[in-house]
Amino acid sequence: MPLSTQSQGDAEQYVLVASLDNARNLSNILKAITFKDHAIFSATPNGLKVTVEDSKCLQANAFIQAEIFQEFTIKDDSVGFQVNLTVLLDCLNIFGGSTVPGVSTALRMCYKGYGYPLTLFLEEGGVVTVCKINTQEPEEPVDFEFCSTNVTNKVILLSESLKEAFSELDMTSEVLQITMSPSQPYFRLSTFGNSGNAHYDYPKDSDMMELFRCTKTQTNRYKMSLLKPSTKALALSCKVSVRTDSRGFLSLQYLVRNDDGQICFVEYFCCPDEEVEEQ
Amino acid sequence: MNCILEGSGVKAFGKAIHALSRIGDELWLDPMVKALALRSVNSAHSAYACFLFSPLFFLHYSLGSASEQSSETIKCKLAMKSILPLFRCLTSIERNVERCQISIGTPDDRVMIQFFCRHGITKTHNLRFQESEALQAVFAPHLCPNVLKAPARLLGDMVMHFPVSQEEITLSMTSQRVSLKNYYEGGNDHMKTMCTEMSLHPDEFDYFQIGVESDITFCLKELRGLLSFAESHCLPVSVHFGAAGKPVCFSVDDIVLEATVVLATLSDSESRGSSQPTETLAPSTPKCADAAVLPVGWCDGSKAQDSPAVMEMIPSSQGSPITNLPALMLLRPETDDPNGRGVADEAFASATLSPASSMICSLLFRASQQDDDGRAARLPVLACYSDEEENLEVDNTRSPSL
Repeated sequence: MPLSTQSQGDAEQYVLVASLDNARNLSNILKAITFKDHAIFSATPNGLKVTVEDSKCLQANAFIQAEIFQEFTIKDDSVGFQVNLTVLLDCLNIFGGSTVPGVSTALRMCYKGYGYPLTLFLEEGGVVTVCKINTQEPEEPVDFEFCSTNVTNKVILLSESLKEAFSELDMTSEVLQITMSPSQPYFRLSTFGNSGNAHYDYPKDSDMMELFRCTKTQTNRYKMSLLKPSTKALALSCKVSVRTDSRGFLSLQYLVRNDDGQICFVEYFCCPDEEVEEQ
Repeated sequence: MNCILEGSGVKAFGKAIHALSRIGDELWLDPMVKALALRSVNSAHSAYACFLFSPLFFLHYSLGSASEQSSETIKCKLAMKSILPLFRCLTSIERNVERCQISIGTPDDRVMIQFFCRHGITKTHNLRFQESEALQAVFAPHLCPNVLKAPARLLGDMVMHFPVSQEEITLSMTSQRVSLKNYYEGGNDHMKTMCTEMSLHPDEFDYFQIGVESDITFCLKELRGLLSFAESHCLPVSVHFGAAGKPVCFSVDDIVLEATVVLATLSDSESRGSSQPTETLAPSTPKCADAAVLPVGWCDGSKAQDSPAVMEMIPSSQGSPITNLPALMLLRPETDDPNGRGVADEAFASATLSPASSMICSLLFRASQQDDDGRAARLPVLACYSDEEENLEVDNTRSPSL
C-alpha cells in the first residue's frame, strides 16, 4: 500500500498510527457527534475514543475499537489531543466522498505527540493528499459519573421505531420529556410546544422493544437543543439503549454498523433540565 | 365529538387536510350529526373549501361525550400549522398507522388526535383550539348555468400543462369546446410569457351543460389540492359556474364524503379576451327545482339522483337547526335582496394583495347577478363566520329552498 511505504522511515517518530482502508469507517461515525467544532481524541491500546461536549451538560462519545483499523499502533498507554472536528471531517472527505462501489479513500492517521499536528495521509485512485491539522491541549472530558450500578431504568429499542418519532418531534418545545415506568405508559417521549403537547408511547411488549428493565417510575426533562443532535447518531444506528440513573441523568447508547458490517458505539450523556418530582 | 378512523381512512383524512392547507391558514372543525365538516378559507375570502365526512366514513362517530349534552358539540378552529405536520407524510401514515382517534372537548380543552401505529406504538397529540362559530359559505351550485363533470384524471391532465407557479387560469366554455389557458395581466409583456392553451371537445366530459358562454379566471393554486384529493380517490369532479365574476364551484363526492372548493373569479370587465355573457340563461336540464329541498348535487339529468341519505335535509332528532349543508349552499342572504344574492362591498376592494388576486377579491364582491343593482350593501363575504342562532332565523326566512 503506497501510504505505508512512504512513511516507513518516520514510523519510529509517531506515538499513534491508525490506518483504515476505508476512511468512511471513521468519518461516518464522527458525523454522528459533530455538533461542536472541537473534539477530544483519546487513544488507548483498545482503540480510539472521540468526545464532543456542549456546555458541560451534554457529552457525546464515539468508540472505534482497535480491531476496526487495519493498523493501530500506539506507543504510550494513552495518547490525547484536541482538534477541530469540522476541519478533520473536511479532510477525511477531501476526495468528495463519492459512493462508487469499490472506490474508497484510504487513511493513515499519524501523531507524533504533544505539540505536533495530526497528520493525515489520504489516498484514492493513486492520488495522495497530506493534511496536517493543528492540535490543542486536550481538555478533560466531564465525568458524568454514570455507572451501571446506579441505573434505575433501561430499555433497548430498535432504532427504526425511534427514527420517525425523533424526526417528527415538535421543535417548538424547549424540552424533551422522557418517562420510563414499570407500568403504563412504560416508555414515553413527550414534547410541549406552541401548538400543544405530544406523547409517543412504546409499550413494553412491543416487538420494537428488545429489552425492558424498568424498576421505578421516572419522568425527566432534557433540553431539546441538547438532544436534537443525537438524531444523527440515531439515523446511523440499528439499536439504541436508553438508561436513566437515580439522578435522572440520561445515557443513550447507539449501536452502529459501519460499511464493513463492524460494530462501533456512540454514546450520549445528558443532564436533566430540572427536577421533576418522581411519582 | 369523538371519532375513530381506520387504515386508508386516515390517509384520506390527511389528504383532505393537505388540500385545505392550500386554501387557508386555519382549519375549522365542525362536528355535526350528519357529518364532520373540515373547512378553510383564505384571508382574502376569495377561496373556500369544505370537506364533509359522513359517519359512514368512520369506524365510530359520535357527538358530545358522556358528560355533555350532545347539542353542546364544540365547534372550533385550529392553526393549520399545528395540525398539518401530524399528517404531513402520508406514505408513512399509510405504512404505520392502523387507527386514528380524534376527539374534541376533552376536559383540558384540546383536540386530541391519537395514532395507533404498528408495533403497539401510540402517538398522542393534544392541540390547542379556539372555539369558533362554524365557517360556512353560501353558494348555490344548482343555480349555475354551466356544469361540467369529468374524471379527476382529465382535469389533472389539463392543469398539468401549466407550471406550478402559474397563479391564475382562464376556463372558457362555448357549446363547441372547453378550453383552459393561462391568465396574464398587462398587455405589454405578453411577449415574454409562455402562453399555454388547451381545448377539449364537450364529448370528453361525463356531463356537459352550457347555459351561458363564459370565460372565468380563477386561482389555480388553490384548486390543486382538491384535484389531487380527487385523483387519489378516483372521483369525478363537477364544476359549476356562470358568467365571469361569479364564483366557480368544484366538487367531488362519494358515499362517505364530499369535498367542495369555491373560488372567486375575475369579473368580466377586468378579464382579458373574455366573451360577453349572453343574456339568456337557458340551463338545459335543471332537474332540481329551486323551491324543493335538494339532495346533494348538480343538475345531472343523465342519471337518477342516488345521493346518500346523509346529504338529505332531514331534521335531526335533537331538533338542532338545519344549516351548514352544502346541499343548501345558498347565497348568503342579504338585506332586501329577494334572491339572496350578495352584492359588493367597496371596503374589500382595498385589500392589499397581489394585483390579480386583489382584483379577484374585489371583483367577487362587485359581481352582482342578473339584476344590475349596484347598491352597496353591508358586509357580503363568500364565506362567513356564521353565528348559528342568528343565521338560522335569517336562513329560514329568506332561503328560497326552505
